[in-house]
Amino acid sequence: MTGVPRSSQMPATPSRSAVSMRVLLSNEFGLTALIALTAVVFALTLEGFTSPFSLFAMGRQIGIDTMIGLAMMAVIVTGGLDLSVGAIGVCAAMTFGWLAQTKGVPVLPSVVLAVLLGGGLGFINGFAVVKSGVHSFIITLASMSIFFGIMVFLTKAAAYNGLPAEVSAFGKFKFFKTISPLLLISVASCIGLALLYRFTVLGRQMLAAGANARAAELSGIRTGRVIVACHILTGLLAAMAGLLVVARTGAAVPSMAGQLGQDWLLPAFLAPVLGGTLLSGGRVSVLGTLLGATFVNVLTSGLLLMQVGSFWILAILGSMLLAAVFTDRARQVFLKSRGMI
Amino acid sequence: MSALEVKGVSKSFPGVKALNGVSMTMQAGSIHALLGENGAGKSTLIKIVTGIYQPDAGEVRMNGSPVRFANLRQSAAGGLGVVHQERNLVTRFSVGENILLDRLGKSALSRVDYPAIWREADKWLKLLELDVDPQTPVTRLSVAQMQLVEIGKALSQQSRVLLMDEPTASLTPNETQVLFRILRKLRDDGVAIGFVSHKLEEVFAICDRVTVLRDGQNACDSADMKGMVRGDVVQMMIGRAERITARAPRPMPSAPPLLELKAYASNLGHRDIDLTIRPGEILGLYGLVGAGRSELAKAILGLARQTGGEVRVAGRPVQITSVAEALHTHGIGYVSEDRKAEGLILMHSVLNNSGITIWTRLAGKLGFLRDRRVEAEVSPVLQRLELKTPSLQQTIDNLSGGNQQKVSCAKWIAAGVKLLIIDEPTVGIDIKTKAYMHDLIHELAAGGTAVLLITSDMPEMIDVADRIAVMDGYRIHGLVENDRNYDRMSKAIMGFIHGREAA
Repeated sequence: MTGVPRSSQMPATPSRSAVSMRVLLSNEFGLTALIALTAVVFALTLEGFTSPFSLFAMGRQIGIDTMIGLAMMAVIVTGGLDLSVGAIGVCAAMTFGWLAQTKGVPVLPSVVLAVLLGGGLGFINGFAVVKSGVHSFIITLASMSIFFGIMVFLTKAAAYNGLPAEVSAFGKFKFFKTISPLLLISVASCIGLALLYRFTVLGRQMLAAGANARAAELSGIRTGRVIVACHILTGLLAAMAGLLVVARTGAAVPSMAGQLGQDWLLPAFLAPVLGGTLLSGGRVSVLGTLLGATFVNVLTSGLLLMQVGSFWILAILGSMLLAAVFTDRARQVFLKSRGMI
Repeated sequence: MSALEVKGVSKSFPGVKALNGVSMTMQAGSIHALLGENGAGKSTLIKIVTGIYQPDAGEVRMNGSPVRFANLRQSAAGGLGVVHQERNLVTRFSVGENILLDRLGKSALSRVDYPAIWREADKWLKLLELDVDPQTPVTRLSVAQMQLVEIGKALSQQSRVLLMDEPTASLTPNETQVLFRILRKLRDDGVAIGFVSHKLEEVFAICDRVTVLRDGQNACDSADMKGMVRGDVVQMMIGRAERITARAPRPMPSAPPLLELKAYASNLGHRDIDLTIRPGEILGLYGLVGAGRSELAKAILGLARQTGGEVRVAGRPVQITSVAEALHTHGIGYVSEDRKAEGLILMHSVLNNSGITIWTRLAGKLGFLRDRRVEAEVSPVLQRLELKTPSLQQTIDNLSGGNQQKVSCAKWIAAGVKLLIIDEPTVGIDIKTKAYMHDLIHELAAGGTAVLLITSDMPEMIDVADRIAVMDGYRIHGLVENDRNYDRMSKAIMGFIHGREAA
């Protein structure tokens, strides 16, 4: 991390203690510690927590929640949000069901088309946000209802239960008796996104436009296009999340993400926010999103094994979202006061 | 006993000493001018008096007793009214509600007594000779009427001291005359009025005392204006003509023009703009705040719509519709006057801020880009600018203003722009970096870059520019060759702005 600082005027690089302090205070470190702690406690106290099936189910759900979190993260980058991720996910899932079951299109092309549909819906969101200048909250609140409404109208709210056998086989498949391919797909997506933000012009432009759209525009970035690209990415990822759910359940069901797809909103925000993605935009942590989804699921699985009611779990997750936001603020203030960020 | 007394007030911000032992004494029944160039410390002084900032040293007294306000609400309660430069009215509310906005009821839940509000507001409107119904929504008022409502709002808080920051900036001459008549009436009623303005003729028309600030210090402290002439005040405001270091005269570039505007008009209000900039030339664009200079820069960059005339880049007629096009197709860059909002991405690193303009150019296949490639391009530029930073990964928010400004320039130098528009390059920057920026601009021009320099700092303009175009009211009023004779140049420039009167 040097380049310029060879001239004599440059002060020394930050002290080692400052660097390690920054690592210790990072979201990723905190989450890893929390995951390890929770996992160890549950493993020691709860029977069946470490059984191959429990690990498999946990991993599969981590894969799905990570994908949902990534979808939201891709648009939080811009300082915006997308309430329609659930609706887009369901629309993609139903499109896949229609193609694969009714139209007899082979699985792989159906997947590609469904994901592209998600990208298209994301484009509609992004285009409307950029052209109108209205905050994405309102735009996507509207599009959530529109997408979901049209989907219900077209499918008559009927599920596709007769999907090709390989779909549910894929959802049940296990590597080494514990690892779901769904998790692997999400991890691969994480790697792809990390590369995007770290090593591509588009990714950097997304972060720049998210941090300060005006300055980015005046530096020659076509901010409007970049923001549309973020929404398209969100659509693509939401569609993939929808297909992962289809693989898990073995069917495409209109109610798989709740009414209007709202059941996805809590995991969608929890994973990136726990992971340290800044809600005001301009900073992401892909690894943090993966860890955030992991922590949520380790905790949820443990609590379920303890037979805690699912409504209590929801309340706990909601509180965690609040706590994450507050600790993030506190951490920012602390690091800032020490001049570490 | 003076209505408001400022004694030896100092205030520092990180990297800048904004005020250094400033004093000012305002008497009841007097209109007191507070003058100074941009960055001289006028706004800081007003903010200290009204409690927005706390002074590092010195004190503020009202009617003889020391006061220390913690915020605007306290200073208002203490009898200090302020009319800010920007409008602070709730436009959807009525005139009466706006005047009494902070006293609509005893508590948050008590009933609003509208008849009483209309009565009370009417009293102030009458005093201000403003013939509108207090129930009129503010949206229906003219700008001048809104200005008067703001004054009414300040007065209704029983203010005996009224500070006005550029109250005439958006008024026509007629409206200004009305405002002045009312200010004189208030003065005769015993109100102490502080008047900040860039328009010297107004100051001479209405003020009887003057305090001039220069670089955060008193150039004069509450002097009687009797017998003063315009030249005296200008001398105090810009002072030390001797600071203009005689730069070696530069050969006039003879290359064909890089940018030409002919009878250019924009939807922002620019009309009949004729400008020509050649490679290697520094063209100054002087004007007061609100003259339309930064707006012209942004119009050239494609952020406004061209409504008439012609733009030529390197001889070819063009229509620039976005900053991306200005940069990547025509090689035009813009260093914004608002570094924090428009120039830099504060939460990102030095590397990302200085490389943002060249990402596209450096990208490999599929848009892939390594930090090392950006570093290799940016490092020599940053080294040349003697940037002080612990590392390239440092968040830019943590650098000093001067170093931030270097990065805002570095990104355009790295991009190799052919025309660089630099807007107020040295506002809020220490003197050493300021001199450095001036050298840098000269160095760039010597290397063949065309520079359009926008500044309200007259010494800076005369120090740096080759030719100076004077803008006022979104038009070019004149163009002078800079002979670096301070008196002659400043007179010529002011002459263009104030028309015949100043000549």
